[in-house]
Amino acid sequence: MEGILMSILGAIATFLLAFVVGMTYGGIRRKVIARVQNRYGPPIYQNFIDAFKLFSKTTAVHHGAMHLLGPAFLMVSAVVALMIIPVLRDNIWFTNLNFKGDLIFLIYIMTFGPLGMALGAGQTGNPNSAIGVTRGLSQMVGFEIPWVMALVALMIKYNTTSVVDLMNVQNEVGQWLIFQNPFAFVAAILASLGMFRYAPFNIVGAPTELASGPASENGGKFLFTMMSAGSVFAFVKLTLLVDVFFGGASNLIELVIKTFLLYMIPVMYGVVNPRYRTEQAVTYFWGWPLLFGFLAIIYSVYF
Amino acid sequence: MNIIILILILFFLGAIITAFSGKISALVQDILFLIVLVVPAVLFFTGVDMNTESIITFSQAQLTFGMTPLSYYFSLIVMGLAVLAGFYTVGQMNGKKRKGYYYLNYILSIGAMFGILMSKDFISFFIFWEIMTWASYLIVIYNGKNVQKIGIKYFVMSAIGAYAMLMAIVLIHSITGSFLITDLISEYTGMTQGMQLLIPALLLIGFGVKAALMPLHIWAPDAYSNAPMSYTAIFSGALSKMGIYGMVIVFLSLLSKVPEGALIRDIVAWLAAITAAISTLWAIKQDDAKRLLAYSSIGQLGYIIIGVAIGTPMSIIAGLFLAFMHGVFKSALFMVVGAVEKQTGTTDLTEVTGLIRKMPWTFLAALISIIALAGIPPLGGFVGKWMLYESLILSDHFMLVILVFFSSTAAFLYCYKILFGFFLGQEEKEWAHVKEAPAIMIVPMVILSISSIVLGTYPQLILKPINAAMMSFGLPDTYGNLWKESILFNKWGNQIALAPIMYGIMLVFVIVTIFLFFRNRSRTRYVTTKDISTSGEIIKEHENLTFSRGFFQPFLRAVEPVMKRQIDKYMLSFAKGVEDLFEFTRRIYNGNGQTYAIYAMIFLIILLMFGKNLLG
Repeated sequence: MEGILMSILGAIATFLLAFVVGMTYGGIRRKVIARVQNRYGPPIYQNFIDAFKLFSKTTAVHHGAMHLLGPAFLMVSAVVALMIIPVLRDNIWFTNLNFKGDLIFLIYIMTFGPLGMALGAGQTGNPNSAIGVTRGLSQMVGFEIPWVMALVALMIKYNTTSVVDLMNVQNEVGQWLIFQNPFAFVAAILASLGMFRYAPFNIVGAPTELASGPASENGGKFLFTMMSAGSVFAFVKLTLLVDVFFGGASNLIELVIKTFLLYMIPVMYGVVNPRYRTEQAVTYFWGWPLLFGFLAIIYSVYF
Repeated sequence: MNIIILILILFFLGAIITAFSGKISALVQDILFLIVLVVPAVLFFTGVDMNTESIITFSQAQLTFGMTPLSYYFSLIVMGLAVLAGFYTVGQMNGKKRKGYYYLNYILSIGAMFGILMSKDFISFFIFWEIMTWASYLIVIYNGKNVQKIGIKYFVMSAIGAYAMLMAIVLIHSITGSFLITDLISEYTGMTQGMQLLIPALLLIGFGVKAALMPLHIWAPDAYSNAPMSYTAIFSGALSKMGIYGMVIVFLSLLSKVPEGALIRDIVAWLAAITAAISTLWAIKQDDAKRLLAYSSIGQLGYIIIGVAIGTPMSIIAGLFLAFMHGVFKSALFMVVGAVEKQTGTTDLTEVTGLIRKMPWTFLAALISIIALAGIPPLGGFVGKWMLYESLILSDHFMLVILVFFSSTAAFLYCYKILFGFFLGQEEKEWAHVKEAPAIMIVPMVILSISSIVLGTYPQLILKPINAAMMSFGLPDTYGNLWKESILFNKWGNQIALAPIMYGIMLVFVIVTIFLFFRNRSRTRYVTTKDISTSGEIIKEHENLTFSRGFFQPFLRAVEPVMKRQIDKYMLSFAKGVEDLFEFTRRIYNGNGQTYAIYAMIFLIILLMFGKNLLG
């Protein structure tokens, strides 16, 4: 009984952590972009204010069952992915559903949410939503290839599909995987540029072009759900990268430092870039990222 | 009388009676049709076991029937789908013309498939194979549209496959002196190396045609989309699995016994992977739901063939598991398309929009089947995909993994396209009259989609027969080694427990759904899809804002270089070359007596001039 209570509390704690960290990072990103553009920018806690405002608003209309379910799908997928990812090494508070979680499961569950969201956006009947969705799915095919190649390279090198095992490998060897297979890291980080959907890959939301795309018919609590799911997702992706390439983290401060540094890569890359066209955003990942993916696999097999 | 023979007689006699019973009344015909499908299924599941064997002797040849664990597994697919699609057929064919013709061929093809699975010798195997081809051909041309183009394409490819198989059978008989499949298996290792490669290759051509393996797939998109959807559910779900059934026998009992077999296995696996990737891209391009699903079927069969061809225990489990799952979710999807076609009269994804509120049950079936198709946990498709990836990585086929991953990610695109095209988007007045399909069509779809949920949680339901089938081929027992009740293991010591994850996801899902769905629903009011944010512009009733044309245009632009090459074109140019050859031959044999006289003269002159030298 105590075990169950503990794991439920742990799950809630993980969720709160992911929510807070993700939201704060979003705020920092806004600040960074503003400073680069020589504006003062909003305070870094601005996202919390926005979230609170959205949550307290009353939603007046909906477009049907799928529209109501869309944000729920997104949230489910984010939370399930979060429950599976090992947040901290050997910590009783953050063990959660770690059934020796495996990477393939994670790859798929992370696509479940956006697909559900896409269905919700589809029912609204807004053409901008549908255009945004097609762009997002196209882009997903793009970045998934180098991303999978990087993960496959690690899987075959260390004979495991489990995130926990990859973390243990790094502990035993005493060296992070980023140094053991740098090509895989490069491929993964380039793929993560697309995963975060910041400029130049912000073709889904595409401000001023698609009127925020799939989100366009959502307001109030819908938008709050989407926003918090997005923050949790950002945290999940960063934690996964940290777990896989940087040996995980043994305490929260280490985790925050590592994830923050990683987070700055897509942010900094995006802040100086304009937006790609959709086909460019797709084919981008089949150029250098793909090459690094191949190198990663070759490196794993032969070295 | 032996029960297998009884079932076969029931099928073939029943087919003829059903065909002519239309003269009495349409209702009698429908009921007879269902009886002919249900009774054999019941007899099969109650009466047939591994020991039933029967031999019919004609003057020289012996036809041997009996069940093996593998054929039991495939019979599950065939019999189950035949009954479910049968009920659906009755609903769909209601009021259509030439029902007798359709029912006759439907039952014949089911009976033939059952015959194939029960055949223990090549003679009956080939006879039933041909009956199946003929029956399905007659259904493909049922609509009477493009018979020349579509029917002949299917028939020519089937004939190529049949001749290849016949050649293999003749070769086998000349070497072993027997038509029994078991004799081939036992004498295979003693054959010469050339025969060891030639016989499986010829058989694989025969099976590859039905399994739509590139480059033998060109008939499939047309044939699948031209047949009535109630039969395409069988076509893609069960009939294509006959090709897989044959391949499993060839790979497991022949090619895995000899070292050279590895080469053919790798070639087939690569062909299948390329098939999967390219046909997925073509599926994305289609605007017609039938053709989209047809291409998607070819792609999914590609995964199955990869699994079977790689030949490690885990990959075979993955292939066979996916074969079952594909039968379940793809036939449900074809049924969905058929229901939409019946209610709206078209399957064009650019025309039909916003049916979700009019056909909610159809949408539900489509949604669940699509999630299973996309391989998203916790549904059944994921279990198969997971095992496939795992086995490919373990057997060092890294590039194949990437190809499979690519095609299964790209599959999301057409999955979304079909859901969006039919059910989502703006609700138009044009489709305001559409009603939900009749219950007799809905129930089979819903049953199929429920089974893809059940199989995702309890894969052991079909992993058990798979395991039995594999053990009959001399493979090690995988129970407790690769899987156990709702738990899958992998070789690296990890395990994925499906039931707890399923319940975990369900729990989170239910909580979030309650929080969002019901709360929001009670507090908000429904507005039509015309009432959307358009930056101040007001949409008129007649304005159609649905985005459905050129749906994935940017993506298709990105992958254009790959799609330039079409196997169809090569085949056509080959056919053109052959035709030119015939044309040349026709010039020689032009049917004119005078010309033949000249040939005779020329021949005589040659004889006279060179005769001495030639005969020397």
